[in-house]
Amino acid sequence: MREKSRPTVGAALLIAALFAFTACAPHEGSENTDAFADCADNPNTCNSGERAEGGSITWIVDSLPGAWASLSPKGGSVYTLQMLHGILPNTGYWEPDGATFTTNLDLLAEEPQLIDEDPFTYQFKIRPEAVWDDGTPITAADFEITWKLSTTEEAGHCKGCQPRSDTYNQIASVEGSDGGSTVTVTLVDGVADPEWRDRFSADNIAGGIYPAHIAEEQGFDITTPEGVGEYFQWLHTTMPTFSGGPYRLVEGDLKTQVIKEPNPQWYGEVQPTLDTVVIRFLTDEGTWISALDNGEAHGTSPVAFGQDTVEQARQRPNLNVSITEGPSWEHIDFNLDNEWLKDVELRRAIFTAIDVEDITQRTIAQLYPEAEPRTNHVFSNDSPYHTDVITETGQGSGDIDAARQILLDAGYTYEGDTLTRDGEKVGPFRLRSTSNTVRDTSTELIQSYLAEIGIEVTIEPTDDLGGTLAAQDYDIMQYGWSSTPSFATAPSQYWSSTSDSNFGRYHNEEVDELVERARNASSLDEAAEYANEAARIVAQDAYVLPLFNMPVYILVTDDYVNVRDNPSSSLRALYQHHEWGLVAQ
Amino acid sequence: MLAYTVRRLLGTIPLLLAASILTFLLIDLSGDPLADLRVQQPPVPEEVIKAEEARLYLDRSLPERYVLWLTGIGGNGDIGLLRGKFGPSVQGADYDIGHALAERLGTTLRLVSAALLLALGLAILSGVISALRQYSMVDYTLTLIGFLALAMPTFWLGALIKEAGVWVNQQTGYTIFYTVGATSADTRGFTTAQLLADHLGHLVLPTLTLMLTGYAAWSRYQRTSMLEVLNSDYVRLARAKGLPNRVVLRRHALRTALIPLTTVVAVTVAGTVDGVILIETVFQWRGLGDFFVEAIKRNDSYALMGWLMLSGTAVIIANLIADLLYGVLDPRIRYE
Repeated sequence: MREKSRPTVGAALLIAALFAFTACAPHEGSENTDAFADCADNPNTCNSGERAEGGSITWIVDSLPGAWASLSPKGGSVYTLQMLHGILPNTGYWEPDGATFTTNLDLLAEEPQLIDEDPFTYQFKIRPEAVWDDGTPITAADFEITWKLSTTEEAGHCKGCQPRSDTYNQIASVEGSDGGSTVTVTLVDGVADPEWRDRFSADNIAGGIYPAHIAEEQGFDITTPEGVGEYFQWLHTTMPTFSGGPYRLVEGDLKTQVIKEPNPQWYGEVQPTLDTVVIRFLTDEGTWISALDNGEAHGTSPVAFGQDTVEQARQRPNLNVSITEGPSWEHIDFNLDNEWLKDVELRRAIFTAIDVEDITQRTIAQLYPEAEPRTNHVFSNDSPYHTDVITETGQGSGDIDAARQILLDAGYTYEGDTLTRDGEKVGPFRLRSTSNTVRDTSTELIQSYLAEIGIEVTIEPTDDLGGTLAAQDYDIMQYGWSSTPSFATAPSQYWSSTSDSNFGRYHNEEVDELVERARNASSLDEAAEYANEAARIVAQDAYVLPLFNMPVYILVTDDYVNVRDNPSSSLRALYQHHEWGLVAQ
Repeated sequence: MLAYTVRRLLGTIPLLLAASILTFLLIDLSGDPLADLRVQQPPVPEEVIKAEEARLYLDRSLPERYVLWLTGIGGNGDIGLLRGKFGPSVQGADYDIGHALAERLGTTLRLVSAALLLALGLAILSGVISALRQYSMVDYTLTLIGFLALAMPTFWLGALIKEAGVWVNQQTGYTIFYTVGATSADTRGFTTAQLLADHLGHLVLPTLTLMLTGYAAWSRYQRTSMLEVLNSDYVRLARAKGLPNRVVLRRHALRTALIPLTTVVAVTVAGTVDGVILIETVFQWRGLGDFFVEAIKRNDSYALMGWLMLSGTAVIIANLIADLLYGVLDPRIRYE
């Protein structure tokens, strides 16, 4: 019997080796050609090229859209925006560099104008050529219905609307003139909007502008709040077959894919050359590489960073891969309702002991060597508004001696290696985060840094980030916020004492005032000034310590040109997908 | 038999009820369905969150919600299992959980049925051959294949099979096998033959994966059962009476040896609906497994409850069928 088992063992080893080889062996060819090589220097134009007529592309979107419209929380995701992009006309978008807002001059006849600051009034002028795919002109009525659809019931324009943001409640009226080609938007008295250019843009909550005439065709009386509410519901449950953009949806569902074809009535300068763009929802990252190998998909720019996928993609000679700094930034927050953590000196010492550079190098820099510690809560390091508010505080430096000195100066003492105050041991603290490779490593490192200043930390992963934050079920928390070039409301959400998202219950009246001013500034420069001032105070109060921006990646087969990532936009690579095309031979 | 069946069916009611209480409690403890809403950027207006809480009945206590979910009394007409309503979903007021479950069940059955039939056929065949050729090269080879399939995690097996499919496509220059979805993304303009080929091309790899995972365990059962029967006295007696070997095998040995497998298969088939979660994830089929994963991702409590009740009911019914089949197949067992 023992003799007979030898061939079995041999066969087993052979099969196992074959399986392992098939699964793990790199594909033939060495490195992939790097069409994204110049993206660091030219993020807005890299991978540009001449397009051939025809062809199709299947683009992977990494999660399911919740609805056919992005106005509500259930549909309000980047996935819905990406699915619908190219269907709704919009007033502009942020370029990949994060500093340039490009006005959509396919739709608008000229740059939008700020008419008045009191009441705050701005104006869009629509090109006469801009029409919906049924030939109906795009007019102020479309802006007006989009505004109403984006307001809460409280504003009184829509019964049953549940928008995912109340930003549009601050608009008092949207009026048309010149036969509907001029749109005048007036805010309610005493309110200003530094990001007024961004309203009705591709990244706003609607993802563009909805047609008013379709509502009427469907029998909704949009002159009444009830009619607007019915239209709101209808838009969320019905695949849009109308279009005012370069593409129109011809088929699809919310589970598998949607198919876009060029809109024959597209009035823009650049015409799509691809016959079809398929947005395919593949929710398991592990399926992407084989789908790309098999020609079932051609590219993706997912929300999350998948190390394995990037490594596998880099072994494919026909895949172009680019990693860049993403919009999500990691940070460490304190729960200020914890009795110990109410003490600002203790918080400063803890943040000083944490070595952000070390965490960065041991986590994301492994795959993205350009990664660097973030030094402002509101602005990325490459933002034109960025001011370093962290370095001057010494926080994130990992200077253990300095941290100990802060504690000793504040009256803390050491019993052996344990930090005490009035004879009582400080802590232990519960350090929480959702579990992934980066956060697991990061929290372990933080635990070790704090051990060096005599503070015990217990790591407790959570699956329920929102629930943990809302319940303040933590002492120290690592999680991520998403930042966009539209920043004016972010400081208020992070730090206002009345904000539900100020989870650690930070309260500083000066900051409250500054974040309100940032929201209500009349220009972006002014808003940035207030935001930076607020960030500096928050840093001094040692409430939040920024770590780094998480990287994101794009990968696409080398058959296509004009495909590039746009981390400044929720649309990511799809932000100008009507310019995509097969490489001209 | 009828009385026994009715008695068993009645017995399932408290069982399902107890299971539903436990799962409802566990799901409630697992997280807040509106947790993502509360950390969205820009912040979701408070009135919208309140409205969602009311729509999902989160403004009521846990016991109230359970009674509501079960009976629908005091609800808005969208909830009450006893009324055939599974409750509101976080995916919106228009999302009908019952309809989604039925639709997904169809997709899963399409995937599962072919795989299970193939797995069963192969398991019986290889189990019998292995038993008849015990300790031969054939037995060792079949044993090896069985253990390999049994030992390999489903997602890994699926990934390997996908790699193999892609390799075949690359070698032949034709896309014969597909790795994601139940059909190609764009099938407009396909002829009936092309559509059929497309469906088959998408079915092969996940079916093969599922078949191997089912086959592995069943073939071992069948081998053991067959060996046991072949060594029993009545088979020896049948041979001693001079019956031809194939008659002994087919009429006396195989029929008896199938009894344990039948009961195992009945229970496993019900379990396969759960086990298909990984296969549907690896191959991106939008069936019941994917429904379950999405419900967890979205903290969709009522959708999760719907899935669990469907799954629980399937297991209980499968157990009942297995017991009844046992009585039918084994003359020594009679239900009074």
